[in-house]
Amino acid sequence: MSEIYDIGYRHYDGPRLGRGHTTRALAVHSLRGVFGLGRPARSKLVPFSLAAIMVLPAIVSIAIMALMRRAGMSYSGYAVIMQAVVAIFLAAQAPTVVAPDLRFRVLPLYLSRPVTITEYVGAKVVAMTVALYALLAVPLTVMFAGELLIDLPGPPRTKEYVGAMLTGLLLAVLLAAFGLAIASLTPRRGLGVASVIALYLLASASVPIMYSTLLSAGNDAAARWAWLLNPFWLVDAVQVWVFGTTPNSEGGYPGGPVSFVIVVLLIAAAMAALALRYRKAASR
Amino acid sequence: MHILDTEGLTKRFPTVTALDGLTVTTGPGVTGLVGANGAGKSTLIKILLGLLPPTAGGARVLGLDVTTRGADIRRLVGYMPEHECLPPDVSATELVVHLARMSGLPRTAARERAADVLRHVGLAEERYRPIGGYSTGMKQRVKLAQALVHDPKLILLDEPTNGLDPRGRDEMLTLIRRIGAEFGISVLVTSHLLGELERVCDHVIVIDAGRLLRSSAIGEFTQATRSVTVEVDEGTQALAERLAELGHGVAPHGRMLLVEVTGPDTLDAIRDATADLGLCLIRLERGRQRIEDVFRETAGV
Ligand SMILES: Nc1ncnc2c1ncn2[C@@H]1O[C@H](COP(=O)(O)OP(=O)(O)OP(=O)(O)O)[C@@H](O)[C@H]1O
Ligand SMILES: [Mg+2]
Repeated sequence: MSEIYDIGYRHYDGPRLGRGHTTRALAVHSLRGVFGLGRPARSKLVPFSLAAIMVLPAIVSIAIMALMRRAGMSYSGYAVIMQAVVAIFLAAQAPTVVAPDLRFRVLPLYLSRPVTITEYVGAKVVAMTVALYALLAVPLTVMFAGELLIDLPGPPRTKEYVGAMLTGLLLAVLLAAFGLAIASLTPRRGLGVASVIALYLLASASVPIMYSTLLSAGNDAAARWAWLLNPFWLVDAVQVWVFGTTPNSEGGYPGGPVSFVIVVLLIAAAMAALALRYRKAASR
Repeated sequence: MHILDTEGLTKRFPTVTALDGLTVTTGPGVTGLVGANGAGKSTLIKILLGLLPPTAGGARVLGLDVTTRGADIRRLVGYMPEHECLPPDVSATELVVHLARMSGLPRTAARERAADVLRHVGLAEERYRPIGGYSTGMKQRVKLAQALVHDPKLILLDEPTNGLDPRGRDEMLTLIRRIGAEFGISVLVTSHLLGELERVCDHVIVIDAGRLLRSSAIGEFTQATRSVTVEVDEGTQALAERLAELGHGVAPHGRMLLVEVTGPDTLDAIRDATADLGLCLIRLERGRQRIEDVFRETAGV
């Protein structure tokens, strides 16, 4: 080896921070990875393009409010209307959060440190949740700021905005947990992207068909349940139940807390799947 | 204080017993853990890190029990896995800084330490390039750097010379020696070659099929390993007799001879004897015998 390493070794006697610090650092690191920060420009292309597309309707909406002096797009319907973009973002970026560490067997480098498997998985879910939430919350907030500045006649739609922000968080947790669980099943990034997108397409394309089939069979009540098979309409049903907003589906949803219960169960199932997956990966 | 000690340590997998009642202790310095493939070396390391629960018996690292104090052990210990474990699309600097933070170092300290250890392992300009383009030797150095970055008290190196060419192997071994002697960090290093470890270790533990074969200071091993393998085209028997006449310890080993080296004149004697007998010397090699050979020899089989 060359002479450059020929300097005395220095010991480290500074602080060693605890679990909170390491978990937060890992979450921030993963979040930066989702948006390709600190990576070559091509890694930023997809996430930032999709984020830009998410904001476009908000800007158009502000223009409508400013020029035509009437309310723009609804806050409560934003996620449902933009669901394809959110789903593509999830499919494209969830594998970047989990696949490399599995594929290249980096996990032992974490687990041989004070990081536990729960903290590792937790940090990954938090990172993906924050990314998805930013995707939804930024346009909603831009639009709300626009509405306040433009000062339309009548009170601002503050309650609807707050409701959309809160249900957006629930949606982000659900999508993050599910997306990561599916993406973690395969260490291959491309396969992860394809699995998430396939599942979403299935859930979005089949639901309206199921709805109209059941409806034409005269089974209105069952038809309304069909919407709950898609995560975006499922969370919209929670929003309708909690905030009394207008349903963004044809014919509405089954009433009561059932949609919320389903969301909670699905999140729990996805987290359990992640825990199992990583327990197995750790024992390799 | 003992760097590590195990007491009847046993690990059974559904189909194999990887460790079988292992009782050893070692002190500070460089300890070699030698054994053939499947001897249980990696299993022992994972137990010492508190990542794999023992089936029976117990172990302590730096005085901490592996079953109850795993997290504390992992704070004080560095680990270099035997397999590839580096993501190809990040640079060595980025990875090592990140892993330093995962060990609890604040951001600035992580950067400084990463730069320091990467220099110590001999990675210069290339440390800013993605790891995917590195040679095996460079990757092994990155793996070593991440094990050192949080300034551990002990590092566990699982086959660090794996896949390296002779020069890379030498450089890695020199580095390990420095870590033990100059950095003041204790080292447990595994290999299936006793010969390559003897230059860098203070103490050697030999295991086979999960059982302890031997654990002793390196001095006691040199007798066994300070021998050369001699292979001649024909006339092996004649050469053995000649060397024995001259008072050298000779043992047949398949088609080859193992000759005990007592000083520089042993090699001269081998050279002269082959020349005198008009034999064709094919191989004269030292220090690379497999551990089984060494034990066959010491056991007098
Ligand atoms: N997770 C596991 N499940 C089942 N068997 C295992 C597991 N890990 C190791 N083994 C078995 O335990 C034995 C010891 O394995 P170990 O990896 O510790 O050996 P080793 O000395 O490190 O070998 P090598 O030189 O090949 O790395 C082997 O027979 C191996 O097949
Ligand atoms: Mg091994």
